[in-house]
Amino acid sequence: MNMIKSVFSFSLITICALAFVSCNDNPATRQVVATTFTNLAADPPTGFTDMGAPIGTTGKFTFFSFKTGALVDHADSATTQWDIGFRATTIIVNSATSGPGTSQVQVVSGIFDDILEAPADGYTSDNDPSPIEGVPNANLAIPTGSDQGWYNATQGPPPTIITPIAGKVLVIKTSDNRFAKVEVLSYYQDAPASPTGNEPSRYYTFRYVYQPNDTRSFN
Amino acid sequence: MPVTLVPKVQIKTMGSLRLNDVLSEQAGLVVVPQVNAQGNGIQVQGFNPDYTLILIDGEPIIGRYTGSLELSRIAVGNIKQIEIVKGPSSSLYGSDALAGVINIITEKPTGNQGSLSTRYSSNNTLDIAGDANLTKKKTGINLFANRYSTDGYDLSPENFGKTVSPFTNYTLHSKITYNVTPTTDLSVSGRYFTEDQQFRFEVESNGDRIRTAGEGTTNDWSFNPVLTHRFTQKLKTVARFYTTRYKTITHLELESDGSPYYQDDFKQSFTRPEVHAEYFFNAENILTLGTGYIRETVQTSRYGDQEKREQETTYGFFQHEWLPVEKLVLIVGGRFDYNSLYGAQFSPKLSTQYEVSKKLTFKISGGVGFKSPDFRQLYFNFSNSAGGGYSVLGTEVALPRLAELEAAGQIQEYLFDPAKLGDLKAERSLALNVGIHAEILPSLKMELNAFHNSIDNLIETQAVAITTSGQSIYSYRNILRAYTQGIESDFSYPLLKNVSLSLGYQLLFAKDKDVAEAVKDGDVYWRDPNTLVTRRLKPNEYFGLYNRSRHLGNLKIFYNNKIKGLEASLRVIYRGKYGIGDIRGSIQGETIPQSDRNSNAILDVYDDFVKDYAVVNISAAKTVKQMVRFQVGVDNLFDHTEPVVIPNLPGRLFYASVACSLSKNKPGNQ
Repeated sequence: MNMIKSVFSFSLITICALAFVSCNDNPATRQVVATTFTNLAADPPTGFTDMGAPIGTTGKFTFFSFKTGALVDHADSATTQWDIGFRATTIIVNSATSGPGTSQVQVVSGIFDDILEAPADGYTSDNDPSPIEGVPNANLAIPTGSDQGWYNATQGPPPTIITPIAGKVLVIKTSDNRFAKVEVLSYYQDAPASPTGNEPSRYYTFRYVYQPNDTRSFN
Repeated sequence: MPVTLVPKVQIKTMGSLRLNDVLSEQAGLVVVPQVNAQGNGIQVQGFNPDYTLILIDGEPIIGRYTGSLELSRIAVGNIKQIEIVKGPSSSLYGSDALAGVINIITEKPTGNQGSLSTRYSSNNTLDIAGDANLTKKKTGINLFANRYSTDGYDLSPENFGKTVSPFTNYTLHSKITYNVTPTTDLSVSGRYFTEDQQFRFEVESNGDRIRTAGEGTTNDWSFNPVLTHRFTQKLKTVARFYTTRYKTITHLELESDGSPYYQDDFKQSFTRPEVHAEYFFNAENILTLGTGYIRETVQTSRYGDQEKREQETTYGFFQHEWLPVEKLVLIVGGRFDYNSLYGAQFSPKLSTQYEVSKKLTFKISGGVGFKSPDFRQLYFNFSNSAGGGYSVLGTEVALPRLAELEAAGQIQEYLFDPAKLGDLKAERSLALNVGIHAEILPSLKMELNAFHNSIDNLIETQAVAITTSGQSIYSYRNILRAYTQGIESDFSYPLLKNVSLSLGYQLLFAKDKDVAEAVKDGDVYWRDPNTLVTRRLKPNEYFGLYNRSRHLGNLKIFYNNKIKGLEASLRVIYRGKYGIGDIRGSIQGETIPQSDRNSNAILDVYDDFVKDYAVVNISAAKTVKQMVRFQVGVDNLFDHTEPVVIPNLPGRLFYASVACSLSKNKPGNQ
């Protein structure tokens, strides 16, 4: 399983359903478009020990910027260049305990396309004190755990299947006060329709809309 | 309350040997496979097997080490009849039977007679049974012995091991009755059961397949003296004592070098003295009062130590049967239980019956039941490496054990806040049954029952954490609120002189209340796995709980010509489509697929279902000179199998049997 290779071979697909509209050069009236980012590698292991423990993981987050629509080098982790970061099932935003920025997020229930405006408030940073002693990531704005934030984990013997919950949309307010909405579509490489849990995991496919202008509208 | 009686003659014509054979053919009951595929549990009115009490002569059979009771432990050769009571409507048997009670009534010693029977069937299955009745003056003795052996069966020959591994078991049952005085009767029953199963499994361990072999043994015994005394014509008292033990041990070794791979043992005891009295005030009023005490212990490797866990329950119950006017019966009952772990619970029951005419009777019953968390939900401290690798921690041991793992650096991620696990509460249900018994056309009888069960505080497994080696750790929580409701109907009609036809049907809606409400509020979505487009789920698109079929049915034709000694039967058992997914597992190395495939963790109409199916069973028998009975039959005539999702349904089975009655007074075949 040569998964590390895929980190460098991610692909970007832009859906230009509204391509003719975006030809309009006036940025104030330009409509935002939904973009699907595939196979974001969120610290995938290079293999497994005999006991099934993942090996070759770095423990590092993979950072993403909505403005550029691209990954941000890990060397820039202490900057505000990135908005959100991914590591295994954990998603962080660039604020407080996670980074120097002021990115905030909230999980909104609804259909991605139907969310036409970002909520005015209700955003949180990654800085609430951990309610559970010794539990990592308990203070994150996007809660970790099955059925807590963006995913479900199957019950039963391994392999556990991680499924992004339908109708959970992450709405992000970036450090420079711009809004983005994100729907995670798959946790497995190439987004298989029926994952068995044995596919290379920690590969995010997500759909997002970024509003570059100073408005909460996603139209 | 809805009661179904299955008489001995029908059990014989069906050619049934074990309790699961009989129950699988009853309307509204489904014999469902267990987690490890090596067992059968019973689903009643949409409830899991844990909620149906299985009794022999009113006393519970123990050994529910995975929650449900293995039905094939019970041989049916010495059974007079089986009573199936649905709903928690009786105060007499205990409060924990939220779904119902299956009471197996064994033969009483009658006359001097005996019988021997043997049956051979597919999979090298041999059943030998004998029973003897001896009565002399005041004493009666009934003895029953059975030996059952099978090679098991293999639904996936391409995989190593068998779906059901070979086993042999023995059952001994005896009942001695003695008329102490004309008003005092003593009955002493005893049962002994032993089973030995030879396993060969292939288990998957991190991508490698490891072959294991081993043995499982199960033993149970019980002792049950009952003293009945009539003080006066109006007062009848019964003192009963019941004690039973159950033990099962499984061990597996690696086939490569014989080193131990898996070891599991479980010991349980249950002891109950009880006294009750029935007082006949007059023809219109009968009062039953009773009290008893239960002591139950469990000792198992699954609790991480061999410490014995115990609980005690003291209880009292009453039931008053009142006929205020002619044709109207009113039964009011209640039961008070005090449990050493859970404190006090009261469960009232009410039922009424009104006979409008000889051809039309209305019945209504309601009741409250509760089920205490069992030992496993409290004390499990169990890691299953054979099942693919996971751990289950009872709520009493979860926190300290997680802290240990945390300290050892073995927790990769928490999936649920352990602090929120808390203490488990008893599960409660409220049941309502409304029924009609009617003769709608001459000889065409109809039984119709509408039921609704509302269940709160249902205990479910909760994934708590993932270890660094990727194994899930589970505990238990009072998560679910659910309801099951539907209609059961049974039609019977004497088609010809010796031919009876019956048709059974159950419509069932079993839903998680919280999910149903969320769907109604528009808060549940589904994502098409191929297009990745998300849509909102409509209320009528939520199918309900996993493993419940909307439709169940059966069609049975029985032919019985006593003069010619001929019997025959044709039975068709239908199960509508259902989803799977609340418990994952693997059968013979193949992962059980989950129905949910559109990212909402609930079963909706866009998910994958196990297809509906019908099983057809036929049998024919001829009795010669009222002494020797020959029977042949085929179960699952059309060889319907689903290796991974219905492992408890073997393929087509042929059988032939011979039974011989030794009696001068009375033929063995009634």
